[in-house]
Amino acid sequence: MDGLIRSRTAAAYVCRSCTRRSQRRLQRDYSSAAPRPDTYDVVCVGGGPAGLSLLTALRANPVTSHLRIALVEAQDLSKTKSWKLPPNKFSNRCSSLTPSSALFLDKIGAWHHLERSRVQGYQEMQVWDGVSGARIEFDWAADSSPAAGTTIAYMTENLNLTSGLLKRLAELGQVSVFDNAKVEKISYGEETEALDLSQWPVVHLAGGKQLHARLLVGADGANSPVRSFAGIEAQGWDYGRHGVVATLEMEGEGWGGDQAKIAYQRFLPTGPVAMLPLPGNYSTLVWSTTPENAALLKSLSAKDFLATVNAAFRLSPTDLEFMHTQGSGQTDEYAWRMEHTPVDHQAIPQTAIGVQEGTIASFPLKMRHADTYIGERVALIGDAAHTIHPLAGQGLNQGQGDVQSLSKTIEYAVTHGQDIGVRMSLEPYLSERYAANHLLLGVCDKIHKLYSVGSGPLVPLRSLGLNAVNAMGPLKTFIMNQAAGNGIKVF
Amino acid sequence: MAALGLLRKHTPTLLRDGVRTSRTASAILTAPARWTSSSSSVNADEISHFNALASTWWDAHGSSRILHLMNPLRHDFIRSCRASSPVSSTSETKLRYLDVGCGGGIFAESAARLLDTSTVTAIDPSPMILAVAKRHAQKDPTLMSTQKLTYLNASIETLPIPTSPIEQFDIVSLFEVIEHVDQPAAFLDRCGAFVKPGGWLVMSTIARTWTSWFTTNLVAEDILGVVPKGTHDWRKYINEDELRGHFRGKSEWGAPRVVGVVYVPGLGWKEVSGSEKIGNYFFGVQRIA
Repeated sequence: MDGLIRSRTAAAYVCRSCTRRSQRRLQRDYSSAAPRPDTYDVVCVGGGPAGLSLLTALRANPVTSHLRIALVEAQDLSKTKSWKLPPNKFSNRCSSLTPSSALFLDKIGAWHHLERSRVQGYQEMQVWDGVSGARIEFDWAADSSPAAGTTIAYMTENLNLTSGLLKRLAELGQVSVFDNAKVEKISYGEETEALDLSQWPVVHLAGGKQLHARLLVGADGANSPVRSFAGIEAQGWDYGRHGVVATLEMEGEGWGGDQAKIAYQRFLPTGPVAMLPLPGNYSTLVWSTTPENAALLKSLSAKDFLATVNAAFRLSPTDLEFMHTQGSGQTDEYAWRMEHTPVDHQAIPQTAIGVQEGTIASFPLKMRHADTYIGERVALIGDAAHTIHPLAGQGLNQGQGDVQSLSKTIEYAVTHGQDIGVRMSLEPYLSERYAANHLLLGVCDKIHKLYSVGSGPLVPLRSLGLNAVNAMGPLKTFIMNQAAGNGIKVF
Repeated sequence: MAALGLLRKHTPTLLRDGVRTSRTASAILTAPARWTSSSSSVNADEISHFNALASTWWDAHGSSRILHLMNPLRHDFIRSCRASSPVSSTSETKLRYLDVGCGGGIFAESAARLLDTSTVTAIDPSPMILAVAKRHAQKDPTLMSTQKLTYLNASIETLPIPTSPIEQFDIVSLFEVIEHVDQPAAFLDRCGAFVKPGGWLVMSTIARTWTSWFTTNLVAEDILGVVPKGTHDWRKYINEDELRGHFRGKSEWGAPRVVGVVYVPGLGWKEVSGSEKIGNYFFGVQRIA
């Protein structure tokens, strides 16, 4: 495409009479009142956390606030913005926000628009191997706590985040929002005598609206239509695992009380199961398991579901495997097996005693990484660029890292008079984010594979790994700093 | 590490080719066209070479890549010049630029996009390259609608010398130009007449050293081929002490600011103190009277 246009225009410059002719056309076109295409500096497809954060960052920065911005989103954003749940109800889609992500959200003025009473920080992590029992305890030693504070991460409902971002964006104003909008196709603009938009992406909305984009941002998720339009492939694989989520009511507010909340994660041969603290007596469950197990879990009664969840943090993998063969009756099975299982209660989550109605759901787990994040007038952020295994809780934070980098890249381009859409302007974003994301994707992928093995030589080796990490204070501190995003942004 | 020379051109004026003239452009820029090839300071031998480059000028991933990568540093240099002096050419915030030897318009476009720019007048004697510049500007609707950017097919010798500060410019830029000029002293004096008191004459070029011969002529053009062959005539390179000498003792000019830059493959252009003696450098001088 590029080459075609170039050779065509180059040919026109060869003779001077051609040049003069094109000048006459130019003047004529100026005098006629041809409708000017609706052009934007940034058109962002996707109003999730990544897209909304990017637009908020651009609007909040005085250097980039003059940019003409449009947001295209399939869902009704007014519903998201006015999202509200009673204090004892929590959405089942939660994310772990690192302090550096929270700091960034604060910098762009969005953090205080979140309902803070629904955000739960945690200060300690307990991670152990379900097969060997090897354990790492992540808590801050007295002398190693970082200056930024001892919070490892903040558990946040995704809707609380998007709702807060929308409120901040509304406060900043001047974003053309097209929600409830269906993208019919994305094409390239036209070349006329007065304007050459043949390299500008045009987003066609149902109803005929056309948005010309100097920079088209794909924040449109794992199956990104923007990525397809740009001809960028994504590599990766499906894990053959589903993530089962649920909002649980616990017997108490946690062993450490309100001020020292703990996140738990146990590696089972089918995948990791995590219990992450929400405010009060609530927790959110993320259980990676086989699609068959996920289907069974979703079919169980609330009582049997809770028994299986409690078993997942307490019983042996063999016991658990058996419980997954039962169509029902897990409650009794769990009670009987617990009589024969010694448990250090303080080292595992408190017992789950209730599950909020309608919060049990599952989704397939995959690993994807786009071959590149940029094209001519295209940039991909968040899940459109990469999809990660949820075991490290890094998905949303990677997206926030993308947004920080891309907004900084755009700021530099603006202050140096560059066209913010051209590939050369976007190159710093690619070089800053690609390797870092790739490393994190790879590490989480390897951890998943390492711990998906139930027996054999890997098991004692990996327990050695976990125990060794637990004993080595400085290394553990380093890993915790990574989890909290205090250090360099690679694992 | 390589100090690579950049392509810019300066050829005799054949024909005035200005079409889009900014509403705010001063009267001198709308003066009638003249045939002035005899009065140009630029070298005729370079015409065919640079004309052949016209179509690749904006290929940021081809032979002009190093030039594109340098462009942001030009803005950083201009800002550092302006920040260094308490005296300013303008009480207003918006600046008027004159870009001499604008080529395909890499600097001119970027200057016109800056919010604190009032107008950019960009001149080049080659109609072919100017046509490339104009066509490229049409890829940016904002450049077209703000009408800050005006291309003129002219050399500095064909522009009438301004008679009042209103017609002069806050920034007169000669990026990768002076090494293609036959009589640099006369050329610089002519350009200087367009600078508003308090304004800056800024340029970038390459020192004439064995290093620059090796990197720009032998390595960049002959061995690596990253710069088109025939772009540079090493004998015309000018050293920074020669430029300093030109402005020394002239009461209307302040003390020059010089920054050496080095292209590091994989990292891009970096400011390296002292490198102005051996390779590419920026040179800025403020008109104080």
